[in-house]
Amino acid sequence: MSLLSVKNLRVTFDTEAGRVEAVRGVSFTLDRERLGIVGESGSGKTMTGRSVLRLIRPPGKIEADEMTFDGIDLLRASESQMRSLRGPRIAMVMQDPKYSLNPVMKVGAQLTEGLRQRDKVSKADAIAKAIDALNAVQIRDPQRVMEAYPHELSGGMGQRVMIAMMLIPNPDLLIADEPTSALDVTVQAEVLSILDNLVKTRGMGLIFISHDLRLVARFCDRVLVMYKGKVVEELAAKDLMHAKHPYTQGLLNCLPRIGGSREPLPSLDRDASWAL
Amino acid sequence: MLIEIENLSVTFTAQGRHVRAVENVSLSVKAKESFGLVGESGSGKSTILRAICGLAPISGGSIRINGKPITHNRAFSRKVQMVFQDPYASLHPRHTIDRTLSEPLAIHGLPLTDQAITKALTDVGLPANFRFRYPHQLSGGQRQRVAIARALMLQPEILLLDEPTSALDASVQAETLNLLSRLRQERGLTFLMVSHDLAVIDHMCDRILVMQHGRAVEELSREALATAQMTTPYARSLFAASADRMLEG
Repeated sequence: MSLLSVKNLRVTFDTEAGRVEAVRGVSFTLDRERLGIVGESGSGKTMTGRSVLRLIRPPGKIEADEMTFDGIDLLRASESQMRSLRGPRIAMVMQDPKYSLNPVMKVGAQLTEGLRQRDKVSKADAIAKAIDALNAVQIRDPQRVMEAYPHELSGGMGQRVMIAMMLIPNPDLLIADEPTSALDVTVQAEVLSILDNLVKTRGMGLIFISHDLRLVARFCDRVLVMYKGKVVEELAAKDLMHAKHPYTQGLLNCLPRIGGSREPLPSLDRDASWAL
Repeated sequence: MLIEIENLSVTFTAQGRHVRAVENVSLSVKAKESFGLVGESGSGKSTILRAICGLAPISGGSIRINGKPITHNRAFSRKVQMVFQDPYASLHPRHTIDRTLSEPLAIHGLPLTDQAITKALTDVGLPANFRFRYPHQLSGGQRQRVAIARALMLQPEILLLDEPTSALDASVQAETLNLLSRLRQERGLTFLMVSHDLAVIDHMCDRILVMQHGRAVEELSREALATAQMTTPYARSLFAASADRMLEG
């Protein structure tokens, strides 16, 4: 049995302007592997990730034929059951450390909060665990970072702090929503190798949400390509550069290449049938 | 040379600490050329653009345009304009597109006509009826087009582009880059462009300068970049990290 199984997931928002369907019938399964979800903004990739944790606020509604994680029915789980899953079993790394860390709390306090509140760990043990986690994401001076406020950290450091925070309870599934899009190529490579290492050594499942096709092709095992709330193509990451669907091909073609021609870049001609 | 930067240094001072954002960087850009600055964040590439505009304090060296040291007056802003990275932050949220585009004309006492605004919009590929919308009613790519239109209102010669497409999706990035190339050709613009994406820089620029920790590392021609003829280890590592952006990816 797979770790996570999602069948026919739909996320809808009833707004004054009418019904908006953000996710329209997405199905996938995940084992202890790296699954990439790619698509442009508005394709529903973030909503898919958030649905797994039931982190969609009203008026948004989640419906699915099936959504099970390790035998637990996520659709029928009570709110308190969900709370006990979020963090210890399924963790999520958000896109932007600037908005996702508490700006008026020291990093150390944020890292130990869960341990102290949820696991009732002693203060000294919690600090030791937090420092271990910072070491695991290769932060050089963890003592100093523990005492720092988020605004005193660079983007790459902030992102690593968030990953460290998610790893402390040792989750089975990590959902990473654009974890590296705010970072430079060189720092990006570091963060990815940290994630990769964690998937391998801890046997974690990873859902990696990104708009960067090249990154996903390099980093994931399997890729879902989303367009307007639907999966238009599912394929092994190594085959991404030879994608069949015209949308995936179009996305790849409109990227500039080093040494490419100076001709105008091909634009993406969207076909109405892709969204059907 | 249209833009000549010689031994430029920018130092920020906060609470007695000095941060040298740019140290002794020299570069020159010919008229109608497109020059790129690449490097990781904190390498000082954006700071150079900001120093040209007067948004960062120059602590040493000189910047000359057309051989004259720059002064930040109105004549300067008619010659040099900047497009910022984040189209969500660089447009006034409570001003209509009409007001955003009219302001440069009003400040410079130029005739403010309906036609000037609608032409500015159509030139960047936006429908004229976007005029009375607010930024939140536009997508990221549409907003960046408005920012480009605003920069072009005063018919400048030089456009400073600070990561103009890094906040955009791949397909929108392609459209925006095509728009910039077309405008450069039509109006004979000179570009000084910053990006962390070597492929974008390679597509847009004739020469590039690789920067690290506020210093210039290596200047490369487009051909040297495409054929991997860099000589410094840092430029090489940056190139290696961008291997998936090569032509045969």
